[in-house]
Amino acid sequence: MTTFYLPDLGEGLMEAEIREWHVKIGDDVKVDQDLVSVETAKAVVLVPSPQAGKIKALNAKVGDLVKTGAALVEFEGEVTRPDQGSVVGNLEQSSKRLEEEDVIIGSPTTTSATVKAMPAVRALAQQLNVNLQTLKGTGANGTITADDVKQAAGGQNTESLHGVRRVMAAVMTQSHQEVVPVTLIDDADITDLPNDMDITAALIQAIVAGIKAEPTLNAWFDGKNGKRQLFSEVNLGLAMDTPEGLFVPVLKDVASLNPAALRTQIETFKKTVKARTVASADLQGASISLSNFGMIAGRYATPIIVPPMVAILGCGRIREVPLVHAGEIKIRRVAPLSLTFDHRAVTGGEATRFLGKVIQTLESKS
Amino acid sequence: MSEITLVEAITQALAYEMRVDPSVILFGEDIAKNGGVFRATQGLLAEFGPERVRDTPLAESMIAGVAIGMAIAGLKPVAEFQFMGFIYPALDQIINHAARIRNRTRGLKSCPAVFRAPYGAGIHAPEHHSESTEAIFAHIPGLRVVIPSSPKRAYGLLLASIRDPDPVVFLEPSRLYRFAKQEVPDDGKALPLDVCFTLRVGTDVTLVSWGAMVKETLAAADKLAEQGIKAEVIDVATIKPLDIETILRSVEKTGRCVIIHEAARTCGVGADISAQVAEQGLLFLKAPVQRVTGYDTIVPYARLEKLYLPTEDNIITAVITAMEYA
Repeated sequence: MTTFYLPDLGEGLMEAEIREWHVKIGDDVKVDQDLVSVETAKAVVLVPSPQAGKIKALNAKVGDLVKTGAALVEFEGEVTRPDQGSVVGNLEQSSKRLEEEDVIIGSPTTTSATVKAMPAVRALAQQLNVNLQTLKGTGANGTITADDVKQAAGGQNTESLHGVRRVMAAVMTQSHQEVVPVTLIDDADITDLPNDMDITAALIQAIVAGIKAEPTLNAWFDGKNGKRQLFSEVNLGLAMDTPEGLFVPVLKDVASLNPAALRTQIETFKKTVKARTVASADLQGASISLSNFGMIAGRYATPIIVPPMVAILGCGRIREVPLVHAGEIKIRRVAPLSLTFDHRAVTGGEATRFLGKVIQTLESKS
Repeated sequence: MSEITLVEAITQALAYEMRVDPSVILFGEDIAKNGGVFRATQGLLAEFGPERVRDTPLAESMIAGVAIGMAIAGLKPVAEFQFMGFIYPALDQIINHAARIRNRTRGLKSCPAVFRAPYGAGIHAPEHHSESTEAIFAHIPGLRVVIPSSPKRAYGLLLASIRDPDPVVFLEPSRLYRFAKQEVPDDGKALPLDVCFTLRVGTDVTLVSWGAMVKETLAAADKLAEQGIKAEVIDVATIKPLDIETILRSVEKTGRCVIIHEAARTCGVGADISAQVAEQGLLFLKAPVQRVTGYDTIVPYARLEKLYLPTEDNIITAVITAMEYA
């Protein structure tokens, strides 16, 4: 048997009146289950059970005045409650062994590579998918800075450009910085061209005709010194796409070549460009360019002039369209043309007349 | 060698030091005849007699004042306050005198007194018996505040506190008094003050705690380990002066810091640790410092006590929050 004594309810009062029992003899109670409500001078207080067990006896009736410390409830059986002290309360106790064999006074000596970075830099690294562990900080005391992260972000999956690509980047930058480009677009109705006609050859011949009408497009322009050089021969740079980058071999004096000779020359360039055996002389000296990008995809474009040239003609994908032809809607084959000219060296009139002649030439071929 | 509880380790340390140092004197309310309300001084009256183990009236200011006087005069008083909630009448003595004797006398005198008090909630006690106001003492220059969380540290740190030439507020987590046992050799070996104890080594998050919450913190660390999160667990032990170096070194490694204390949140010691980690460890943080604390309210009576105390789950939630940042 164990006994529960009415505790000091924290108000320093000597006795309390039993207001209501919440358990009866024979009840199995749990720890903290309400045993009894008692009224002190100040309040009605619920007294919880300090232990689990079966109630054997209740030593007071409702209305009784019970002194603090009096035996109030008796539980059946023995609960081994060693002397915990003389305070109200219930200390958790166990004979559980506390395993603390590996306690280190101070810090463990283990070290690991740590990253020093401000939270904002960490957030940036997360956003740019940069692993801070791989960076070397350039900030104070090796702190990784936002710039370090940005640089690393730019540096992931990157390679240095070589050869043709590097040249392309430089040339395009130069063009963007120097040239004042205007792009004209129009369509040529090439329905009447023979089906077996070599389109590239036809375009080259049309360019030659255009230049005859407007020689100012077959020129080099030196913007710095305000000098222009017109050419009597048409040396046509033909853009060729390769995995290595953009090649523009030059078909020399195209006015002197018939379509078959043009085709032979083009096929030779295709092979030598692919094999990277094209002579550097064959890549120089173009006076005007043609990009027949429509063989891949695309309709119109804003082709970029390679200085010191002043014009480039692009031809998009040839397609069939419903078109008004001789007063009727017909299905016609159309070549979309995009001409970019350098407005520093070429007037709008010259360019439009050139393009008009190109279209006229293509449309009159038969 | 038998295994003993935390409260028995306190008794063991007191007895050891009284045997080797006759200047150690104990006094407090009900500590002699009664053996202390938690029995921390049980048997000491019989062994050392009423000259050295004394009951006092219910007058905490006097208890502290007498201890200070004895300490200045060359004794080593260990004064017990029955509960932390009863220590406030002694604040004037402790703050205005104990903490200042060395400074006031320009180093001529010191005050080697220990002020012991059980503290913390979770024992179903009435009001005044449950609070954790260690931050009050940690704030006072000149006081050392020591809190053990295991029988071994209770023994070693209490010995160190008694031997220390300056005043120590020694707070004993009553919830852990009889919670578990540990083999504690009665060899008189003190543990160092002013240094943290690393209880678990981990790499993912640093859990910083002291006192009774170390129990929940270790339990949370075990659960986290099941999820693959390796927590380093630091028992601060001496909260003033704070061994911030150990905490910083850990945070440099883990990048995450969760501070767990039972005391109310506002101006708790966790706030200061958080500030120092922000000031000195910001460059290493992968997530904001998290605090798991008690509420800014009076600790409730027994039945709501559990709702007040931070739980293992609260700690785990805070750790997960920290883990989710990066």
